[in-house]
Amino acid sequence: MSSDNRPFVTDDSQVLTDTRDARMTGEDNRFNSKLREAFGSSPFILTKFDKFMNWVRGSSMFMLQFGIACCSIEMMHTYAVKHDLDRFGAGVPRASPRQADVIIVPGTIVSKFAPRMKRVYDQMPEPKFVIGMGSCTISGGPFQEGYNVIKGAEEVIPVDIHVPGCPPRPEALVYGVAKLQERIANGESSPVTVKPYELEQFGDLSRDEIVQQLADDIDEEDLVMRYNWADSP
Amino acid sequence: MSLEEPEPDAPATVEEQSADELAELLGDHVIGREEHLNAPGYVVRPDEVQAVLSTLKEDAGYDHLSCVTAQEYEDRYESIYHLKKYDDPTQEVSVVVPADRENPVSQSGEAVFRTADWHEREAYDLVGIEYDDHPDLRRILLPETWQGHPLAEDYEQDRPQVVPLREHANPLQEDHRSEQDTDTMYLNIGPHHPATHGVLHLKTVLDGEQVADVESDIGYLHRCEEQICQNGTYRHQIMPYPDRWDYISAGLLNEWAYARAAEDMADIDVPEYAQVIRTMGAELCRIAAHMLAVGTFALDVYGDFTAIFMYAIRDREKAQNILEDLTGQRLMFNYFRLGGVVWDLPEPREEFFEKTRDFLEDLPEALEEYHDLISSNEILQMRTIDTGVLPPEVAKSYGATGPVARGSGVDYDLRRDDPYGYYDELDWDVVTEDGCDNYSRLLVRLREVEESAKIIEQCIDLLEDWPEEDRTIQANVPRTLKPDDDTEIYRAVEGAKGELGIYMRSDGTDKPARFKIRSPCFSNLQTLPEMAEGEYVPDLIAALGSLDIVLGEVDR
Amino acid sequence: MTGAVPLQQGMLPDTIANLLGLDAFGIAGDVVAALLGAFLIANFLLINTAFAGPWAKRKITAAFTDRIAVNRIGPFGLFVIVADAVRLLSKELIVPEGADRPAWDLGPLLIPFSALLGFAVIPMGSGLQLADPETGLAFAFAASSIASLGLIMMGYASNNKYSLLGGLRAVASNIAYEIPLIVTGVSVVLFTGTLQMSEIVAAQEATFVSIAGIAIPQWFAFVNPFAFALFVVANVAEVGRNPFDIPEAPTEIVAGYQTEYSSVYFVLIYLGEFIHIFLGGAIAATLFLGGPAGPGPAALGIVWFTAKIWAFFLLTQWLRSAVPRLRVDQFIEIGWKGMLVLSFANLVLTAVIVGVLTTL
Repeated sequence: MSSDNRPFVTDDSQVLTDTRDARMTGEDNRFNSKLREAFGSSPFILTKFDKFMNWVRGSSMFMLQFGIACCSIEMMHTYAVKHDLDRFGAGVPRASPRQADVIIVPGTIVSKFAPRMKRVYDQMPEPKFVIGMGSCTISGGPFQEGYNVIKGAEEVIPVDIHVPGCPPRPEALVYGVAKLQERIANGESSPVTVKPYELEQFGDLSRDEIVQQLADDIDEEDLVMRYNWADSP
Repeated sequence: MSLEEPEPDAPATVEEQSADELAELLGDHVIGREEHLNAPGYVVRPDEVQAVLSTLKEDAGYDHLSCVTAQEYEDRYESIYHLKKYDDPTQEVSVVVPADRENPVSQSGEAVFRTADWHEREAYDLVGIEYDDHPDLRRILLPETWQGHPLAEDYEQDRPQVVPLREHANPLQEDHRSEQDTDTMYLNIGPHHPATHGVLHLKTVLDGEQVADVESDIGYLHRCEEQICQNGTYRHQIMPYPDRWDYISAGLLNEWAYARAAEDMADIDVPEYAQVIRTMGAELCRIAAHMLAVGTFALDVYGDFTAIFMYAIRDREKAQNILEDLTGQRLMFNYFRLGGVVWDLPEPREEFFEKTRDFLEDLPEALEEYHDLISSNEILQMRTIDTGVLPPEVAKSYGATGPVARGSGVDYDLRRDDPYGYYDELDWDVVTEDGCDNYSRLLVRLREVEESAKIIEQCIDLLEDWPEEDRTIQANVPRTLKPDDDTEIYRAVEGAKGELGIYMRSDGTDKPARFKIRSPCFSNLQTLPEMAEGEYVPDLIAALGSLDIVLGEVDR
Repeated sequence: MTGAVPLQQGMLPDTIANLLGLDAFGIAGDVVAALLGAFLIANFLLINTAFAGPWAKRKITAAFTDRIAVNRIGPFGLFVIVADAVRLLSKELIVPEGADRPAWDLGPLLIPFSALLGFAVIPMGSGLQLADPETGLAFAFAASSIASLGLIMMGYASNNKYSLLGGLRAVASNIAYEIPLIVTGVSVVLFTGTLQMSEIVAAQEATFVSIAGIAIPQWFAFVNPFAFALFVVANVAEVGRNPFDIPEAPTEIVAGYQTEYSSVYFVLIYLGEFIHIFLGGAIAATLFLGGPAGPGPAALGIVWFTAKIWAFFLLTQWLRSAVPRLRVDQFIEIGWKGMLVLSFANLVLTAVIVGVLTTL
């Protein structure tokens, strides 16, 4: 919606190259893992190891026991007898977010709940993945017109896979989970996102324009939260 | 209801007052009369609400405040108290309380009916009427910091709600340790907790493991259903939404609530054939909804996704398959239309009947299994008998309906007491239990499944033998419905959780001017503190499970 | 060899020392042999737990609930064990703000440690036993009880109210059920007259009765089925499984004491719980089911022993699927008013019978 009024970085090759160069020449080794140091520069083992880790993360995941609205009924059906999501190694619901890998957002998010959902998401350990289930998590769905409804889960937390439908059938959710696993296994889903407290660690990196703009938006004197999430950046 | 054996407490035993008698009883309190389609309306002064309500309750026997509707007119605010009798819900009366446009204050009815507490808080939250003498007038559905009242006329939806973060500080962050009383512990249960059946937030104060105080904080799923229905046209645009109020497969029951109110308002007759299909579909929904209620209750008491939960889901799948054949969707059916249903039974019909019959034949065996696994299990009986006690008088005062009321021995079922559809032609019984505890509510649900199966079986027999030329599924309904200006109606049906009512006011256009949903869960959830205070945490969870709330319906 | 305790004959470290020729190195050789033995036993248990935790538990629950469970990842979904373990270990370890640091870290370590320690004295058959002290049974009970300490440390140090409730419940339940457990165990000791595990096993080798040519051994489960039932019930409570899974109770207090733990610590807790189940099974098997005894040559002992501890694991999973959870006050009440009384009655009765038998 706002692609025309926001300056996007059109050429990101520079940023990437800087980081890569810094890492390879050794002047900034924060991106280098201990494993990389241990194995030297040989790419073979690390590639295989990454692949293995991707397979691991894609093959087995604990779900967060998390229900919001209509879709959670179909989500229960997906876990249960006939559809049995556990066949894909993804059917263990954990009540505590600390032990979950995947949060399925099953339903409409309203202004009162959005901060709480954000909090639950923040409580999950990395790497974590989000499946948006149903139209409401895409755009607010049938309730988009409502004064209290947030227009999609992505206003609050990053979503990896959207499963459309109102509600999606269990088969659709199974397909969504399988797709997510496929993406993770292929390394297409980013395994780790940088957390706010880690930003400090990377503070001296050159800021690109988006980060700069977002940083400028924040009024540090009086942080403002909006209920009208449609206009939020 | 059986035609052969009339119910012992048939409506005839309840004394009925004519509209004039009531006016006489109320005397000077009445400053005007209105005529709603369902009941006579008495306009009373805003500072005499308590007197009027208590006269009606004590002297005329109107002991059920089913709903409080608030709305704004060009020149005034108005609260309507929809009163009924538990013994005969066809006797209704509306108390209309106008309030000043500039300074909308009216007296609270909370002292007479406990249930008015939440209803008036909602009215304050959404419409902006203030209630004198209300014990705790806060916002209930929207966040505390919300600006404006969204269902008021002058509310601008597009204006962003800008709230400084400091005003909306996370209540979870502060440490709730109080200096004076170190014996208790404040505990947030929810809004994300495995036992809250969605996004309910219980603010509990624990004394050791015992619940000293519990307050439910709702609104985490307030999806503006009333506003959305007010923006939709009667004919087609409203019907998809009822499915999403009580989303536990109870869709057809909810659709019927809207269909009944709108059909009565626009004076539409539904063909009998369609009524039978509706009855059958609705009862299938009830079975599916009760199955989930039993399954999740077991989940709360058993503590994991155990066998009983899975079996309940297995049986639900069967009911959902049949409903999918009938309506085309698993959960959000959108099958009813004003004046009938959208299409006839699926072809070939024999196959559909056979499938449904198979389901009904397997049902007694499945129920036997449930009784073996849950209701006759000694540990479960230890856990549920005499816990979460809700005496009938308290239940009535809170406006509890459905299995919650029937588990407390309140014999109230709109399918029998205020007949609609094809229910009064069929042979079935209203299930009540006198235990008033968690166990009774569980038993009521399990036995209601049996009764629903009986109803479905009779419906199938009827449908099979229905004359071929008489299979009209929809009455002739105009393309655009425009009920007369200022027609008001409140109509309720027996949803899966209790009395699901709709209040509508027309303003002569094709969209309702006010659309108010009376949700059974909203009233039922109010009884939670009565049931849980003084009990242990596990009993609080069990009581919540036995209430079988659906947050979509509580918050709307 | 001054001051050194020589390795007990026939124990696993001794066998290893003999095999590897470590005898020649004196104390150092003994230590190495003992460590190697402990390593072997621990790995044996970890392998069992690896099968039980991520895979068997799911499959068993699925079988109870008409499902299939993991079947896409490797044969019968077995690779999920690798995937689960590596994934959990590679997750972010979140330390909540306000966590009481040393206690928070020690809690999860104590649980598997205490359970593994208990296995040191368990005769697993086929010569697999690390040590056989004269106070073997007391040692096993004592070791497994250390876990309570870990539970309350975790509950208290997490700075989470649900954890606190869970930790307190765990301690209450352990205290309430430890006593009946031990008292019932003592009734077996009355028969055997010794606390030494190998002697307890040996005492069960004699034939109890012979029906139609089939000799039924003198397992204490057959001699005193009442005590066996009591012991199993107390054991289920001790390891915190349904209907006594009060400390975890997902629908009430989220995940109890483990609510705040992620990643490695969660794995440790999980491991600890499962090894505890196996330890419970192992003690029950040793006291009541003849330890590693079974048909066939004595070399098959470890097979029979494994079968017995898995039977106990299966029992806990069965209960989990089918039995409702008790309320916390009922749970404590049953412990103090029911189990304790019954276990003492059993003890007195056994004492009388043993006394009469010995005087005869």
